[in-house]
Amino acid sequence: MPEHIIQWLGAYHDGELRGARLRQVENHLAECANCQAELEGMRSLSTLLQETAPEGDFLSSERFAANLALRLPRQPEMPQPRNKALEIGWWLIPLGTLATWLFIDVTFLLRSVILFVADAGLLGSNLAWLQGNPIQMEWFSTAMNLFGNQVGLAGQAALSGLNDAHLFVTHAAGSLLPQVLLAVLYLGWLAVWWLGQQAQMSQSTGSFSKS
Amino acid sequence: MTLPHAETEAALIAKAQHGDRHAYGELVRQHHPGVVNVVYRLCGDAELAQDAAQDAFIQAWLHLPSFRPGTSLRNWLYRIAVNAALDVIRRNTKTANVSFDDLPLADSQTGPEDALLQKERARSVQHAILSLPEASRAVLVLREYGELSYQEISAALNIPLGTVMSRLHTARTQLKHLLESQLVHLEMEYA
Repeated sequence: MPEHIIQWLGAYHDGELRGARLRQVENHLAECANCQAELEGMRSLSTLLQETAPEGDFLSSERFAANLALRLPRQPEMPQPRNKALEIGWWLIPLGTLATWLFIDVTFLLRSVILFVADAGLLGSNLAWLQGNPIQMEWFSTAMNLFGNQVGLAGQAALSGLNDAHLFVTHAAGSLLPQVLLAVLYLGWLAVWWLGQQAQMSQSTGSFSKS
Repeated sequence: MTLPHAETEAALIAKAQHGDRHAYGELVRQHHPGVVNVVYRLCGDAELAQDAAQDAFIQAWLHLPSFRPGTSLRNWLYRIAVNAALDVIRRNTKTANVSFDDLPLADSQTGPEDALLQKERARSVQHAILSLPEASRAVLVLREYGELSYQEISAALNIPLGTVMSRLHTARTQLKHLLESQLVHLEMEYA
């Protein structure tokens, strides 16, 4: 005789079984008097529970609704539905910022590698245009040619200092500035997101916690 | 019969979500009997059940804006009602820690015997339900009186499906055990 299926009888009684399990229980019940009796007991219990009327005085639904209407507090405002496009755009900001930063960094890294190889002469003369940063600006060469002999050593040193400063600013503008701007954009987004989270948390304090 | 101006539940919910008290009143009238039945079976006292039902409908009103349209309002209300009933029970010592042995003996001296037997039987059943642990009681009441499916009970009480089955099995086994001897005793007394 197959094993009893007591553990499935409740689900069978409640109409919760499907497929193979349902057929298994039905087949078993057809030949097992014990499980039939158990199922019958379960049905009797349900009938008894349904038949017993509540004791006491209950308000009618009309009266209850009328009383309740007097006690209903002001309902909190419905949250505004979010604009999907704006939401996607909002999350694209940090992703786009990070992707751009990554792109710039990789580009500069590759540039450095290529320049190193080119400086070593491994790329031949065809890639001469790739030679590294100029060591002097064009205006510096012109000024030195025109006035180099007249301004003396101090003047040459001053012109050289200006040239270095110009080179530094040009280099910074080319590589550092975009990264700084990206960092500011990302940190700004992060700050706005954090403030939004804080505002949400303070709104939900003391709200419905029942599950 | 459908009333010509009767609005669908979805339309009433949408209005109530925007603060329409009349629409909410209609929803309350529709769901009041079911909610009261569930909370009464959990509390075992008409007065406490009214309090719990009122708490439940006020909570539902306050959180209606966050209710997701398209899901079952009845299940959502039952979920709130179960919590409200359990809160009311905890606040009232009258229903706390009920033991089946505390059930007062039937007074067979008053009233027609059949009516009295029915009343005593109802008291025994309600007392047996109250003597169940809260967790099993909530599952049993939602199944037997709320007529929720296992899946719906699982969602309403936020417990796994397997736990629903095991608690229901435990509750039925305990009830059967408690009621068998008590009801036989009653039948003999009124025979």
